[in-house]
Amino acid sequence: MTSTITGAPTGVAPGQPSPAPEARKKKQGGGLGGYLLVRFLLIFPTIFILVSTVFLLMRTTGDPITAALGGRLPADQLAERVHAAGYDRPLFTQYVEYMGQIARGDFGHTISDNRPVTEVLTTYGTATLELAFYALIVAFAIGIPLGRYAASRRDKGPDAGLRIGAVLAYATPVFFIGILLKLVFSVWLDWLPVAGRASTGAEIAMQHDGLQTGFYTIDAISTGNPQILRDVLEHAVLPAIALGLLTGGIFLRLVRTNVIGTLSTGYVEAARSRGVNERRLLRKHAWRPALVPIITVIGLQVALMLSGAVLTETTFEWKGLGFQLIQYVKARDYVAVQGMVVMLAVIVALTNFVVDIIAALVDPRIRF
Amino acid sequence: MTSHARNRRVIAATAGLAAVALVLTACSNNDDGGTDGSTSDSGDGSSLVIGTTDKVTTLDPAGSYDNGSFAVMNQVFPFLMNTPYGSPDVEPDIAESAEFTAPTEYTVKLKPGLKFANGHALTASDVKFTFDRQVKIKDDNGPSSLLYNLDTTDAVDDTTVVFHLLSPNDQVFPQILSSPAGPIVDEEVFSADALTSDDEIVSGNAFAGQYTITDYDFNNLIAYKANPDYQGVLGAPKTDVVNAKYYADSSNLKLDVQQGNIDVAFRSLTSTDIADLKTDDNVQVVDGPGGEIRYITFNFNTMPFGATTPEADATKALAVRSAVADLVDREAIAEQVYKGTYTPLYSYVPAGLTGAIEPLKDMYGDGDGGPDADKAKAALKDAGVETPVVLNLQYSSEHYGPSSADEYAQIKDQLEKDGLFTVNLQTTEWVQYSKDRTADVYPEYQLGWFPDYSDADNYLTPFFLKENFLANHYDNPAVNDMILAQATTVDPDARTGLIEDIQTAVAKDLSTVPLLQGAQVAVVGKDVDGAQDTLDASFKFRYAALSKS
Repeated sequence: MTSTITGAPTGVAPGQPSPAPEARKKKQGGGLGGYLLVRFLLIFPTIFILVSTVFLLMRTTGDPITAALGGRLPADQLAERVHAAGYDRPLFTQYVEYMGQIARGDFGHTISDNRPVTEVLTTYGTATLELAFYALIVAFAIGIPLGRYAASRRDKGPDAGLRIGAVLAYATPVFFIGILLKLVFSVWLDWLPVAGRASTGAEIAMQHDGLQTGFYTIDAISTGNPQILRDVLEHAVLPAIALGLLTGGIFLRLVRTNVIGTLSTGYVEAARSRGVNERRLLRKHAWRPALVPIITVIGLQVALMLSGAVLTETTFEWKGLGFQLIQYVKARDYVAVQGMVVMLAVIVALTNFVVDIIAALVDPRIRF
Repeated sequence: MTSHARNRRVIAATAGLAAVALVLTACSNNDDGGTDGSTSDSGDGSSLVIGTTDKVTTLDPAGSYDNGSFAVMNQVFPFLMNTPYGSPDVEPDIAESAEFTAPTEYTVKLKPGLKFANGHALTASDVKFTFDRQVKIKDDNGPSSLLYNLDTTDAVDDTTVVFHLLSPNDQVFPQILSSPAGPIVDEEVFSADALTSDDEIVSGNAFAGQYTITDYDFNNLIAYKANPDYQGVLGAPKTDVVNAKYYADSSNLKLDVQQGNIDVAFRSLTSTDIADLKTDDNVQVVDGPGGEIRYITFNFNTMPFGATTPEADATKALAVRSAVADLVDREAIAEQVYKGTYTPLYSYVPAGLTGAIEPLKDMYGDGDGGPDADKAKAALKDAGVETPVVLNLQYSSEHYGPSSADEYAQIKDQLEKDGLFTVNLQTTEWVQYSKDRTADVYPEYQLGWFPDYSDADNYLTPFFLKENFLANHYDNPAVNDMILAQATTVDPDARTGLIEDIQTAVAKDLSTVPLLQGAQVAVVGKDVDGAQDTLDASFKFRYAALSKS
């Protein structure tokens, strides 16, 4: 559900006459309000399709009770539990009931540890969001300045080196980068913690004195103890870099391509012919238009980041949704897995909606 | 400033940010891997940090029957009967006395003045409540099945409880009271007919074991504090504060104990990691007898020459089993595959438990635990078995760990080396495996067992009665009678004798070929003492035994 703008902008250059208002309105296909309403309404069929797909995929392997407890319970007890949970009813009946539960915000209870799935989602979702936030910072910090630099040094040594680095960053599996980072910074140099979101002492202190929002950075700040904040930030460094490098590489390539594209557009050529120097051309004319497509790509990157978070969280024992998802997969707890996959899908859908809003606000040409 | 200069500035700023972040963190670190005393993982002298890959299902004893949950319960809940350090045999814990007052009456007298950490009195009423709710809730994930012989529980007065049993003189019942079915709970905190949530248990401070829980973050962190009111057989903890940190990845557990970020790593490091840590001067690897056993099960109907095969011949079938027992080299598997984290098992009752002997060591192989191909060849020849015998051997690396593939590859080599067997190794997804093995699909297959309580009975009754969980059609009336007899024999020496006789009899029949006994392994820092004291045949790892100098 992302908007369709990609690549270099091709809009009206600064200083050129604008089209007539009527023509512009027709070209844009409606106002901002209508556009946002459509994008918002599209969330529902998207989520509906996602939930239905997840439900059907999960059921193709049998019922969740047998998947979780098969081999551990005698056949009669297993059948009794399957019956009690209603998994021996027609699939369509189960589907309708499940959709009704989802609509009420009830994702059921996990089979392996009997916890409400919503509790699991809220407990671990905050950790994943915190990691994604840090990873985005890393991605921006790496991708945007280095992409700009690569574009300014097009086809020269630094550009080639950065392009190779970018490809390596997003082609290398996240867990491999994670293991390398741990080896270097935790094992060899002993600078940063091996795993976890905080040291045991810090976690206990946050439980006693912190706000307990689940966002450790906020919880650590709320304790008023800078040592705890530093401890939390230290634990975040390696996971954020491991996950952020993936997206940072993509940002780098995208920024480079877009800057090169805008540097060769007509209005930049016109400015160049008027004697504007290259530095000013990049800074004043080419830079900002080149950034607009990044906004739309962020939506896609959130999905990529969440899938990367599964591996990153597992590598670094970052106890978020991705980490927990793997635990429940190992336990064959399909009720939990189903709820978590649906939640991740909803996060991606909502993120794309927010990105669409931002893109539409930033670039008035985006109307469908 | 030129364009190049500006770009260089951008690069420098970016690189600088990254460098500053790393340098700051590097400079802020101290040697123990933490940031300072307030946030460091590793405890100081009066506290310890223990790492584990265990998982907790629930703290409610009625709702869990797994190692991870029971490990926590052993620290915080009291038992009527318990195993003191270094012994597999139970003694009264918070009880003053416990004895059979009639064949079907087991009477327990509590110590006076017991109380929970929340101040509630711990009385016979709590004990009755505990066992009544176990039976009533009967949770599928709970241990209520262990109370199969309990009829009713009566609280006679504040300190006297009478258990009315279905079968008389049940010598296993005292062990059951120390099992996952036995933790005593507070009737003022726990629900009588439903599971109580972890939060309610922790906030209700419903603990009366050696420790209480002060902080609880599900499968992430548990903070324990010594309980001064505990009056049981285990005594006061050596360390006041213990924090347990939960890991998903054993490699992170290994790195943290290696770097001193935690003091103790217990369950479950890989055999390769343990072998590596044995060479590390910064840690000590301590081991003790473990309760887990691994073995090959034979289906008496479908194995070669089994009862329902076209060539059915009990003598030949026994010769096949004997030849397998002659050829397997347990020592090689234990050392090469499991790096000493498992030890050879030559009986059905593992070493360390009362009554354990090693009949297979003498009866098969070279008489000293090693393989003997000539003996195997003779056994098959004498029975008229043509070689090679084809064995379709199933194993499950999904359930028993990836090393099972190496283990069974080595067994295949050992059995095939002298041309007596052709082994087809097969593996199946665990859910299907569990169904197939009891449906006579597998002629020979891998299984493992972890005990419910540390008594020989738990390694005999489930396996070798006519109706057993192996469902392998093994039926020896003499063995059946001896198993039933040992469970009700009051005289300890006579019971031990029966247990030994059962092992010898089953070793002759070879319903299963025992292979390995899992060792309990803890990796501790150089300054940590006491691990050896708790790695005993009770198979309960008590944090209270540990201390840090």
